[in-house]
Amino acid sequence: MFKMDIKKELGILPKSIWAFHCNSGSCNGCDIEIVALLTPRYDIERFGMKLVGSPRHADALLVTGPVTKYMTDRLRRIYAQIPGPKVVVVVGNCGASGDVFYKSYNLDGPVDNILPVDVYVHGCPPRPEAIIDGVTKAIVKLEEKRKELLESGGGGNV
Amino acid sequence: MTIGTLYTGFGYWNVYAWIMFFAIGALVVLFIRFTGRSDYEKGTYQDEVFYGGNPVPQDGEDLAVPASSSYWGFTKALASFYEVLVNLHTGILSDYMGFLIVTAAIISLLILL
Repeated sequence: MFKMDIKKELGILPKSIWAFHCNSGSCNGCDIEIVALLTPRYDIERFGMKLVGSPRHADALLVTGPVTKYMTDRLRRIYAQIPGPKVVVVVGNCGASGDVFYKSYNLDGPVDNILPVDVYVHGCPPRPEAIIDGVTKAIVKLEEKRKELLESGGGGNV
Repeated sequence: MTIGTLYTGFGYWNVYAWIMFFAIGALVVLFIRFTGRSDYEKGTYQDEVFYGGNPVPQDGEDLAVPASSSYWGFTKALASFYEVLVNLHTGILSDYMGFLIVTAAIISLLILL
């Protein structure tokens, strides 16, 4: 009787994208650029984008860093805890390819070894404009996944 | 002894009122729970409590931050003083009696002399 109407819920989704940020071993360069998105100069909240403190509230996962062995399980856990539909955006060269750390002994990364990545934002660190561009591309992917979910009648985690 | 209403001067306390309060609270919690998404996969990472991505400690003690953490630096700085105090607390009654007698003797001397 009071069950959530998943179709109605998915209809609300496209109006904004909420992102959860996970540092999987980054040098903080990319993280600072992500924080710069919130400053008055870039102000992503005017687009309805927002950084949230819990994966339960997120639509997108922003991952920085080359994924150290310590972070692998934690990254998987955080990804699993985001309700579907969800997208993964890799921010920075480290997450995309390992960059200068690509041969390091304690890496399980790059991120696409661990999670299905939807958008790569390159740069060391990428400019905030590039991250905004990446997130808008992620919205398109998210929209596709949302349609898939709607067609399948909701449920499951895409 | 009968269960009745206790008037305190500021209000009253009644066991049936408390039971009603918890029953209504439980109904509200169940309602909120039923309106949530049901497509979570049980027994996977999805089903776990979000604990910063870390595995949730099974022992409650690992979850808690002790109050002593807030004054850790203070106790660290005064460690040599605290060590003496802690060592004095041997838990042996005769030691404590000894402290009492010595302290009483010193106070008596101060008063008498």
